[in-house]
Amino acid sequence: MLFLDLTVQGLVQGAIYALIALGLTLVYGLLRILHVAHAALFTLGAYLGVIVTNQTGSFALALAVAMVVVGVIGVGVYRFAYKPLLDQPPLVALIASIGLFIASEEIFRLVFGPYGLSFTDPPLQTQVEILPGIFLSHARLMVVGIAVVFLGLLGWLSASTRTGIAWRATVADPDMARSFGIDVERVRYLNFFIGSALAAAAGVMVALLNNLVEPTMGAVPAYKALAIIVLGGLGSVRGTLVASLALGVIEAFGTIYIGHLLDRDAIAFAFLIIVLMVRPQGILARG
Amino acid sequence: MKFKLQNIAMVAGIALAAMSAPALAGSIKIGFNVPLTGFAAADGNSALVGAQLAVEQVNAAGGINGDMLELVVYDDQASPKESAPLAVKLITRDEVVAGISGSYSGATRAAATIYQEEATPYIAAYAVHPDITRAGDYVFRTSFMGEVQGRAGAKLIGAMMGLKRVVMITLNNDFGKSLAAGFKARAASFGIEIVAEYEYSIKDREFGPIVSKVRADAPEAIYASGYFFTAGPLVRQLRAAGIEAPVIGQEGYDTQKFIEIAGPAAEGVIITTSLDRDSSDPVTQAFIAGFEAKAGYPADMVGASAHTAVLVMAEALRAAGGGGKAALRDAIAATSLDASTGHISFNGLGEVRKDVQVQIVKDGNWRHYAVISDAALLAPPEE
Repeated sequence: MLFLDLTVQGLVQGAIYALIALGLTLVYGLLRILHVAHAALFTLGAYLGVIVTNQTGSFALALAVAMVVVGVIGVGVYRFAYKPLLDQPPLVALIASIGLFIASEEIFRLVFGPYGLSFTDPPLQTQVEILPGIFLSHARLMVVGIAVVFLGLLGWLSASTRTGIAWRATVADPDMARSFGIDVERVRYLNFFIGSALAAAAGVMVALLNNLVEPTMGAVPAYKALAIIVLGGLGSVRGTLVASLALGVIEAFGTIYIGHLLDRDAIAFAFLIIVLMVRPQGILARG
Repeated sequence: MKFKLQNIAMVAGIALAAMSAPALAGSIKIGFNVPLTGFAAADGNSALVGAQLAVEQVNAAGGINGDMLELVVYDDQASPKESAPLAVKLITRDEVVAGISGSYSGATRAAATIYQEEATPYIAAYAVHPDITRAGDYVFRTSFMGEVQGRAGAKLIGAMMGLKRVVMITLNNDFGKSLAAGFKARAASFGIEIVAEYEYSIKDREFGPIVSKVRADAPEAIYASGYFFTAGPLVRQLRAAGIEAPVIGQEGYDTQKFIEIAGPAAEGVIITTSLDRDSSDPVTQAFIAGFEAKAGYPADMVGASAHTAVLVMAEALRAAGGGGKAALRDAIAATSLDASTGHISFNGLGEVRKDVQVQIVKDGNWRHYAVISDAALLAPPEE
């Protein structure tokens, strides 16, 4: 029973990791940039979710607003921060990204205050018994629902639409894709929009689970998502999904059984090290 | 949003304070290191407001034997890398007569060593690490050590509430670990059986796995250490999972923000702390009213602790009467003062002797629950 309960808790956490890490892996796949500032967009999404819900009383509206606004800002980050640096070594873009992330934490603190924000009346808190003896709040179920719906949509988009084919072609070989008439810039904008919108959705859901949004809440996702995309085999979408869920479950059990030796983050990185020793190319990537 | 203007005003204020290097005639300068940016900025803001309020109150009542008290404020980001050079700067450049820490343990420890080397008195307002006062005889602390508060927690649960099967959820930093050590040291003597202990890191906000395990453990009470930003989500998640055992926390919970985050789940949470909201003591009452007016949010433990530290320093300055730093140190050591966190005196190590206040959340506010004034139980270490 406890075993099942911990597995479920781990999968919920894994779903959040997946929403965050997917945008990161998409950016890496396309541009070979480690987009650390992605976590700042996650935080911004969380703030927008809380503020819009508190102002309008509609959580659905807040989720939509957060995803669209953060999606657009994500496109802006590409246009104004990364695009001018594309002909520089990837390290330059990485440093710009880290700078952007650090600056964003202080901007959030100055604009929204140091104490963080909470929902005045947090929605979706009722408990449902999903399996005998295992209770999940509607909020947790919604985390899983949102992850499945959006990631499913993304899978369909990339497999079955012209846009998706253009996308995959651009990832595989941008120059070749361009010579076949694909608008590579459009693909990149779309990529940043979708990745950032998913991060915003993750931010809103984390805000809902914790009822607390803080300026520094992006700090852990910023490096844990990096660990996840490395685990998944850099740039592999399917690998990222598997790595996210696996990490969620391992952290859940680790917290209980070896928590007095290693904290949650240490467990995550120990797992990363062990996997890389066995499979240096990542969980799913082909050697 | 409502903090925005305040923050700008605060930054402007610090800039002005930093520029006013040449001292006004008839002013006594005290150094104050406090985290105003970074992860501890929320506590830093409360500490600053509490300290400024105390300075205003002292000056309004005629200052120190006619001289005005002046706070020289620097942002240490709760980091020893910042606080150590700031301590040097405060002592040598700003020529403060003494210092107060409105910061966390790491930053306070680093600064304490320098204050001791420079033979300048230093009071830690709310940092918990045991080594701070061990820096030497110029360093004092006006808040409880973690161990002391942990012992009070054991008495509260085992003897006063009569609950015996306890699960501990421990924050794995110096604050949480020292609380846990104090709690465990006295648990058995109050008949408490510790069923299990789980640890978490200060970055955790998601406690799903721990909550599942605690439900399986079915304890009579939960002793959970943490700060409002970890305890708020934790208590919320415990209650959401249908766990109804009382949650006993400590001064890290002690702000209105905890109640805001945990919402209805906060009701009935009991903590050991320094500030009694329902105190009839005029100093405490004046602090509570003054703090809320100045800060725009209700008083908290950090604000009260910084306020207390400044009042202790002011009283000692009065008693020492310009007799130099060694006389000031002796005056602090001889303190016997009613401040906003109760009656303050120090032991030989410079650790505070005062009662532990027990507060409970009732109708969305912190309220009086009990006082623990067991001098033997609460005796801080002497060396």
